[in-house]
Amino acid sequence: MEGGVSYARMPRVKIRDLKDDYAKFELRDTDASIANALRRVMIAEVPTIAIDLVEIETNSSVLNDEFIAHRLGLIPLTSQRAMSMRFSRDCDACDGDGQCEYCSVEFHLLVKCMTDQTLDVTSKDLISSDHTVTPVDFVDSSLAEPSDTSTNRGIIIVKLRRGQELKLRAIARKGIGKDHAKWSPAATVTFMYEPEIHINEDLMESLTLEEKKEWVESSPTHVFDIDPVTQQVSVVEPEAYTYDDEVLKKAEAMGKPGLVEINAKQDSFIFTVESTGAIKASQLVLNAIEILKTKLDAVRLSEDTVEADDQFGELGAHLRGG
Amino acid sequence: MNAPDRYERFVVPEGTKKVSYERDTKIINAASFTIEREDHTIGNILRMQLHRDPNVLFAGYKLPHPLQYKIIVRIHTTSQSSPMQAYNQSINDLDRELDHLKNAFEAEMAKFSRDY
Ligand SMILES: [Zn+2]
Repeated sequence: MEGGVSYARMPRVKIRDLKDDYAKFELRDTDASIANALRRVMIAEVPTIAIDLVEIETNSSVLNDEFIAHRLGLIPLTSQRAMSMRFSRDCDACDGDGQCEYCSVEFHLLVKCMTDQTLDVTSKDLISSDHTVTPVDFVDSSLAEPSDTSTNRGIIIVKLRRGQELKLRAIARKGIGKDHAKWSPAATVTFMYEPEIHINEDLMESLTLEEKKEWVESSPTHVFDIDPVTQQVSVVEPEAYTYDDEVLKKAEAMGKPGLVEINAKQDSFIFTVESTGAIKASQLVLNAIEILKTKLDAVRLSEDTVEADDQFGELGAHLRGG
Repeated sequence: MNAPDRYERFVVPEGTKKVSYERDTKIINAASFTIEREDHTIGNILRMQLHRDPNVLFAGYKLPHPLQYKIIVRIHTTSQSSPMQAYNQSINDLDRELDHLKNAFEAEMAKFSRDY
């Protein structure tokens, strides 16, 4: 690039909370287009692995074959491998068959109910051919005893009564949420503009305590509070503000327009990311950045396009210059 | 069923160019870039990045139809630059921003796991 000119920004990040399946962070010094691109990529373009083909051998359960196949597809599978895995349609090792080790993982399920007690067939009954790709294990870390198996039985696929049986083979493949939502690693990804709230102190002091209370309570969320000692109104939780305009309307109705000024900062965002468990929330963010970079690289002009235009340019100059 | 395959939304068909370029026939330094199998994700970040370039007089994108999986980016620049130069620059700058963002996020992750 000539002269090394750059209009690139240097965004800042601050992580507020980070758990395996949850992340909350601040993103600053960039614009909504980047924030939204990241959100869109996290939901629809970060790859995971999900069951895509089911061959049913025996099914005497109450659910029909396609119903069970659909339910199997929706089970989140641990997908750390997905970024380096091949899409079946690009795999030359199996030539479009999509059943080789480079682009697929095989699962088997064989359950039969032999008692009068209803038997739950769960994601834990799926036997994987690859120990790195297994149904996501939901362990609630808030529980005192996470090893308690009675609260951790996996995702129910179907229930069987005495004599009923389910036997099948399933193929899991790499995919993206744009293809089918079962491949989306995101449970929720949202961002909000950081609000900037300024109270006009002089105007506020012209209010009686009753009026202050009335105004503070007009906000549907707990954004403002009154100090019990000084009776001063202050902003306690700016991010609880939902851009509902209620306090502005209330100030107007009380004959005190300009009592509070609220602006959405155009370059600061607060992200909330929740993962399905297929990959860690932090990995989801990093993978999204990586995917976005790959996408940008793919839209670079090809050499022949540039050459064709160079010739066109010369022809144009020739025609103009005579 | 005659529904199109779902992958048609994001797989560029064989023999089709990912990006094609067309100069404006009437205005000098104006051109359109047709990008196959991309949507608002790429279109909007390119547009906003192009707006940061002082040599760009106009930059916009459109998704002509939700069932035509392509976007059209139109750029008009001053004589100091060209649509192609501005387009390349915007991609380089976005790439640099994302590199920085990745490093910033990883540094924060390391810091977070150390502090908590
Ligand atoms: Zn294969």
